Amino acid sequence: MGVDSFVSWLRDVAGSLHDNSAYLTELDSAIGDADHGANMDRGFQAVVGMLDETSFDGTDELLKKAGMTLVSKVGGASGPLYGTFFLRFGTALAGADLTPEAIGKGLHAGVEGVLARGKAELGDKTMYDAWAPALEAYDAAVAGGSDLGTALTAAAEAAAKGRDATIPLVARKGRASYLGERSAGHQDPGATSTTLILESAARTLS
Amino acid sequence: MIGIVVVSHSRALAEAAVGLATEMVAEDKRPVIAIAAGLDTTTFGTDAMAVSEALGTADSPDGVLVLLDLGSAVLSAEMALEFVDPEMAARVRLTSAPLVEGLVAAVVTASTDASLDAVAAEAERGLVGKQDHLGVATADAAPVVEADRTVEVVVGNEHGLHARPAARLVGLVNGFDAVVTLTDLDNGKGPVDAGSLSMVATLNAQQGHRLRVGASGVAADAVLAAVEDLAAQNFGDAVVEKAAPSPGGSGLDVAIGPAVLAGAQVSLGDYVAGDNELGRLDEALATAGEQLDELRDNHGDIFAAHLALLGDRKVLDDVRASIAAGASAPAAWKQVYGELATAFEGLDDEYQRERAQDVRAVRDRVLRLLVGVTEVAPTDGILVVPELDAATAATLDATRIAGIAVRAAGTTGHGVIVARSRGIPLITGIGDVDVPPGAVVSFDARTGSFEVAPDEERVRATITEREGERAQAIADADLPATTRDGRTIDVLVNVGVVQDAVDARGADGSGLVRTEVLFGDRRTAPTVDEQVDAFRAIAQALGGKPITIRTWDIGGDKPLPFLPQDREANPFLGERGLRVFRRRPELLRDQLEAIRRTAAETPVHVMFPMVTTADEVAWALQELGPRDGLEVGIMVEVPAAALRVGSLATELDFVSIGTNDLTQYTTAADRTNAAVAPLADGLDPAVLQLIDHVVRNAGVRVAVCGDLASDPHAAVLLAALGVSELSAVGPQVPLVKAQLRQADLGRVDTAAVLAARDADQVRGLL
Repeated sequence: MGVDSFVSWLRDVAGSLHDNSAYLTELDSAIGDADHGANMDRGFQAVVGMLDETSFDGTDELLKKAGMTLVSKVGGASGPLYGTFFLRFGTALAGADLTPEAIGKGLHAGVEGVLARGKAELGDKTMYDAWAPALEAYDAAVAGGSDLGTALTAAAEAAAKGRDATIPLVARKGRASYLGERSAGHQDPGATSTTLILESAARTLS
Repeated sequence: MIGIVVVSHSRALAEAAVGLATEMVAEDKRPVIAIAAGLDTTTFGTDAMAVSEALGTADSPDGVLVLLDLGSAVLSAEMALEFVDPEMAARVRLTSAPLVEGLVAAVVTASTDASLDAVAAEAERGLVGKQDHLGVATADAAPVVEADRTVEVVVGNEHGLHARPAARLVGLVNGFDAVVTLTDLDNGKGPVDAGSLSMVATLNAQQGHRLRVGASGVAADAVLAAVEDLAAQNFGDAVVEKAAPSPGGSGLDVAIGPAVLAGAQVSLGDYVAGDNELGRLDEALATAGEQLDELRDNHGDIFAAHLALLGDRKVLDDVRASIAAGASAPAAWKQVYGELATAFEGLDDEYQRERAQDVRAVRDRVLRLLVGVTEVAPTDGILVVPELDAATAATLDATRIAGIAVRAAGTTGHGVIVARSRGIPLITGIGDVDVPPGAVVSFDARTGSFEVAPDEERVRATITEREGERAQAIADADLPATTRDGRTIDVLVNVGVVQDAVDARGADGSGLVRTEVLFGDRRTAPTVDEQVDAFRAIAQALGGKPITIRTWDIGGDKPLPFLPQDREANPFLGERGLRVFRRRPELLRDQLEAIRRTAAETPVHVMFPMVTTADEVAWALQELGPRDGLEVGIMVEVPAAALRVGSLATELDFVSIGTNDLTQYTTAADRTNAAVAPLADGLDPAVLQLIDHVVRNAGVRVAVCGDLASDPHAAVLLAALGVSELSAVGPQVPLVKAQLRQADLGRVDTAAVLAARDADQVRGLL
């Protein structure tokens, strides 16, 4: 468990987002500006390009560089949001042993960054609606003695539930909020990409 | 000069907006404008790194203003502030201004070396011109400057959010680092900038209207709390405004003296424009500000309103723009303030319309300073003015000036109120009569006459006579009003505030306690206990003589802050008086409870306003419940009620005729509308015939509590028609009593009065 695992995770995320690019864009075309799939794909392809050219000694450096890349390459609001997530996640891991507890702290730091940046609340129909239950499930699993893989699997499953629960919500943040009531009945693209990222983590980080 | 950064999803959009804005300013005066837009020339998106680079490019010791489009532009810009040096980040301002309009305003303002605060403020105001132009209907559709937080407040002020409370609001708001907007939820006007007096005035917010106050910016919470606090204090309007005007001065209604003409148009004919018109304007504004500061300190809030008008930033911007376009300072000033006065005159509300004279007073003060003429306040004689501004009325030497004759009609202007409260003899509405300066003139407000070169001896005799009358009447105030033919008429006082009862001389009780005025400054309904306390205080001030409490008389032009009403197309024919409570009787029930409890301690009568049918009387009596010795009556204001008073009064002890409303409903004329006001004459024989009919058919005691009862000569006529009780405004009570004592009712030719052709003929017979 080290830098290589995290590199594998980021590459796996890039593949997953690339495969789901059309799906995410389709979700976004219902309630947003139809660019989430393309934006995330572009951002993570840039991350892959960066990984191909650079080698990292520390996980924190890796994640921060990935975050900066997303900030510059995604384009939409998910750029600063996921960018902030990886920057804060990386910062929190600096000098830490990669225990399930430390990674939990890193995830929390990242999600707090997302909240500070986007000022979303639970139920606003945003990626936070997937992050919040995921963190809760992760913490519970770790507290119950689970290993990292099990905890991340629990987090991904909770995120998927949170993602599904965004369907009936009325969006209160982002471009979808302009649609008001018409945003209800559609799954939130941000919560969907968050779930993909966590599912990838469950596959690759253990 | 500050720098500007434009953050947009689209490079093309940003470049076009910058092109539009820079077109406004000469190349050598443009601020540095850096763009962070699009991921490349065609891909939509924002990049925090690109924004931080742009901040570096545009950075200046004076600060950087960042204009943004939406969504990720805001997030990326915020993120960029974390990437740059904190010292630099501290001088960067992200603005919620609309991208295109805000950028144009920002570039133009920045080119004048304005501060970051000033540029940001102008950018935030970028939409005002467009909203103004497109009118109210689009204001709701374009709430681009979205407020972070909002609160709702109620306008409790009797005359709505007029100049003085508006000035206090504007002054308050401008002291905070926040963008504050106002929306009138009852008339749908707004949002407008709460920091601009002219914009606040366009809301035309009336008493009882709910305002949504929105605020953005670092001090949003603080400014909203402060606005709530100010609103809770009626925007600083003191309750004393409702107190009866204290006599003071000579208090006479007749005057004579040499005419002193003032208030003539300031002539710009000799003005020579220089190359520093903006500088001259600033100098004149500074001097006017000092003058008004001093006037405010000595004479109060009217001048605070003038000060706010003087410093209204939107209006000043217009003046400066006009000067920049080549106009001389006085020409620009005169034109812009003239237009503002015209805008006030176009408002719906009579009271607001008269605020136009405040605008003209400020206009002329600055014009005189610009042109270099001084206006010396007259010390003697009769001041003849086109309209009376508050500054003049407040600064005249009341002990020396003989009187004031105002050409314009209208009785609620600031100047008129001030002059009255100082006891200066005053007549309004003398019109265009030609008055040579220095000519001896006289007026008699009682008869409405204004004469040039009058018979001086006759006028002086009238003055002596009035002084004697007044002195005698006050001395005799406590004697009963028994006529020469032996009838004693009860003369009572109308009470709006407890002080009216305290000040009353010679009143045989109160024939009208206006509960909606008594509690009109309240933001929430008074409790039963509070009402009992107020009623008891009035009764005690009148030595335990009977008081007639009228239940809440709201609607028409009298909204109550704690009982908001829907806007009606025709409020005087809508839910007024008793009608209001048929659907929601709770407030009325509380009041009747308070009246019953007061009646257990002191003689009390109760009467219900705006009654039309016997059903309404039955409903009111049912709501009242057991009477326990309480005398019960109704107001007769509706012609239908006058005509069938016999069937309405079967269960009652008295009726009281409200002559103001009875007159306006009988003549179908609004006395506050100058075009038809002469029709609404209480002495119209048709009105008098209805009063006569009520006296003959009521079968119970008949009182009059409208304005007619305050006119000593009309009072005699009413008594002759058989009215046994008159309720007048406080200062008139001794005069009405004195007139009645000299009257022989048997000699009043009531038949001729009732058969008269019109009100003028009636006056001739009195």
